[in-house]
Amino acid sequence: MSLEPFNRLVKLAARAFYDDITTKGDNQPKTGRSDNRGISVVVLDALTRRQWVREEDLAKDLKLHNKQLRRMLRFFEEEKLITRDHRKETAKGAKIFSAAVAATNDFHHTGKEGEEKVKLHTHSYCCLDYAQIYDVVRYRLHRMRKKLKDELENKNTIQEYICPNCSRRYTALDAIRLVTPDDDYFHCENCNGELVAESDKLAAQEAGDGDDNARRRRREKLKSMLQKMEEQLKPLADQLTRVKDLPVPEFGNLQAWEARAHAHARGGLGDGSSNDPSKSSQGYGGTPMPFLGDTKVEVAFGKEEDLKSETASTSLKVLPPWMIKQGMNLSKEQRGEVKEEVKMDGTSTSSTVSDDKKSSVNTDDKRSIQDEYVKAYYAALLKKQQELEEASKKQQELLISNTSNMDSGTSSARQVGMKFKREEDEGDEDVEWEESNVTSNTNENYKVNDLNVQAEPSGGDEDEDDIDWEEG
Amino acid sequence: MFFHITLERNMQLHPRHFGRNLRENLIAKLMKDVEGTCSGRHGFVVAITGIENVGKGLIRDGTGFVTFPVKYRCVVFRPFKGQILEAVVTMVNKMGFFAEAGPVQIFVSNHLIPDDMEFQSGDMPNYTTSDGSVKIQKDSEVRLKLIGTRVDATEIFCIGTIKDDFLGVINDPTTA
Ligand SMILES: [Zn+2]
Repeated sequence: MSLEPFNRLVKLAARAFYDDITTKGDNQPKTGRSDNRGISVVVLDALTRRQWVREEDLAKDLKLHNKQLRRMLRFFEEEKLITRDHRKETAKGAKIFSAAVAATNDFHHTGKEGEEKVKLHTHSYCCLDYAQIYDVVRYRLHRMRKKLKDELENKNTIQEYICPNCSRRYTALDAIRLVTPDDDYFHCENCNGELVAESDKLAAQEAGDGDDNARRRRREKLKSMLQKMEEQLKPLADQLTRVKDLPVPEFGNLQAWEARAHAHARGGLGDGSSNDPSKSSQGYGGTPMPFLGDTKVEVAFGKEEDLKSETASTSLKVLPPWMIKQGMNLSKEQRGEVKEEVKMDGTSTSSTVSDDKKSSVNTDDKRSIQDEYVKAYYAALLKKQQELEEASKKQQELLISNTSNMDSGTSSARQVGMKFKREEDEGDEDVEWEESNVTSNTNENYKVNDLNVQAEPSGGDEDEDDIDWEEG
Repeated sequence: MFFHITLERNMQLHPRHFGRNLRENLIAKLMKDVEGTCSGRHGFVVAITGIENVGKGLIRDGTGFVTFPVKYRCVVFRPFKGQILEAVVTMVNKMGFFAEAGPVQIFVSNHLIPDDMEFQSGDMPNYTTSDGSVKIQKDSEVRLKLIGTRVDATEIFCIGTIKDDFLGVINDPTTA
C-alpha cells in the first residue's frame, strides 16, 4: 500500500480546486484578517500526513480554532474527500484511540493522554478517503471538460434557422410550425422560402455581422479556456493516470483502524521512536502511522527517472513538482545538508534538480545554468545562515539585557523583517513549512534559540515559518 | 416530470344540469374541460384523481348559469430542460425528426443527432449509421434529453438531443 502517489494527488487537487475556499460565511466582511483562503490546502496537506485523526488534535496541531476546522472538515466531507466518524467517548474510549496513535511505543504509558478526558464527550475523527478522492477528482475533471466541449460543439445550443429570402430568423422551438407535409425542409412563414440552418456557411454570411463576431469571440474564449484548463490541470491529470493501477490505501473505519493499530503494536515494537505519544500530542507527529511502519515510499515518476533517482536519491528527497517553479526549490533535507554539499561540488544536487525538472525542461545548457544557480544559491545560503546566527545571538543578548521590560514589539518586528528578506530569496517557503519538522530533528539548538528570541509566539504560521528558516 | 397537485377552477354549469346529479355532472364536465389541456405553468393535465371541494355556486345575472369554484387533485406532466424522456418518433425529415412523449412534442434537429447517422430520403425517411445497425424512422422509440422548452400559456414545445451517452434508439420497429 503506497501512500505517496495518492498524497500527491490530494495535494495537487487541493491546490487546483480548494485553494480559494474560505470557511467564512458570505455575510461576514472579508477583511484582510478574516480572509483565510488557502487554509483548506493546509488542512488537506496535514491530513495527508495522518490517517485517522481526532479533530481536536488536528486543530491543535494546525493552531486552528476547533470550530473553524470543523467547518472546513464538514465541507470536505460534503466534497467527499474525507470520511468522518463521531462517537461518544468515555475516558476509556479516548484511551483506545490514543493507544492506537501511540501504538508502537511503550504500551503502559498510553493512558496518559486519555486521563484528561473523563467526561462523556462526543469526539469526531476524520480521515482521507483516497478511493473516493480519486473518483471525485476524476469526475470533476470529466465534468469540466464535458461542459466546455459541449458548449464548444454547440451540443446543447438551440439550432437557429434563417430564411435566405427575407432574412427572418427561426429557432428549433418553432419547428412544429415550419414543417410542411410535402417535402423535407422547413419553410418560412412569410414567403414560404426554404430555411437553412444557421451554422451553414451560406447562412453565416447572410446573418448580421455583429452577431456573428460575438459568436466567434465566444467560441475562441471557450477554446482558450479549454486549452488553459488542460494545461493547468495537466499535473493533476498525470497524477491520476499514475495512480490509476495502484492499490488504493484503505484505512478502514475508525474501529477497524484502531484494532489493526493495536494488533500491530503487539506484534512488533521495533520502530517506535517516532511515535512517542507526548510528541504526537504537541506537534507534527500528529497521528503517526503505527501499522504501516515508515512511509518511505518511492514515487514512481516514470521509468527513466526511476533509474536516475536510484543514484541520486539516497540522501536527497525528490521534490514534488508543484513546488518547482524556477528550479530553485530545495526540500529541507537538502537544506539540512547544505554545508556538505557546497564542498561536494554540487554534483549530486544538480542531478536531482534536473531529474525533477526533466518533464518540463530538457536542454543541457539550461541544466548547466541551473547547476550554476544551485552553487551560487548554496554559497549565498551559507553566508546568510552565518549572518542570521550572529544576528540571533545578538538579539538574544539584547533580550537578556532588557528582560525587565520585554519590548516584544520591536524584537518580533525585527524577526518578521528578517523573514521577509528570506522570502524574497525563496518564494515557496509557505508551501514547505508544515512538513519541516517531520524529517529534520537535527537543528534542535536553533529552534530553541529562535523560540527564545521571540518574546511571545506570534501565533500560527509565522511561528512555524521561523522555525523552518532557522534550520536552513 | 409528473406531479400530483391541487388546482382550482371555476366551472360554469347550465341550469338544465341542476338536479339530483348536479355533482356528477359537474365532475364530468370538469374532466372533459381539463384533462388533456396544457397550461404553461403546470404542464399537461393528465388525469383528475379526486375532487377536494366544491364551493358555493353563484348565479350569473341574466343567464341562469351558475359558477362553482372546484378544487381538484390531478396528475400533471411538466417537461423540464435537462430531463431525459423516452419518446416515439412521429416524423423524420432532412432537418431532424419529431417525436412525442405522451402529449409533449419534441423536435431533434439534425445537428443534435450523432454525426455518424446520415439522413436517407425515400418512402420511409430515416437516419441510419453507416453500417446500418441503428436506424431512426417513424415509430422508432428513442431516449432523448430535452435541451430547451418553449412554454406558452397553453402550449409546451420541446427540443431534444440524442447526441450524448446512453441516448438514441431504444427499440427499432423493423426488428421488433
Ligand atoms: Zn422568408
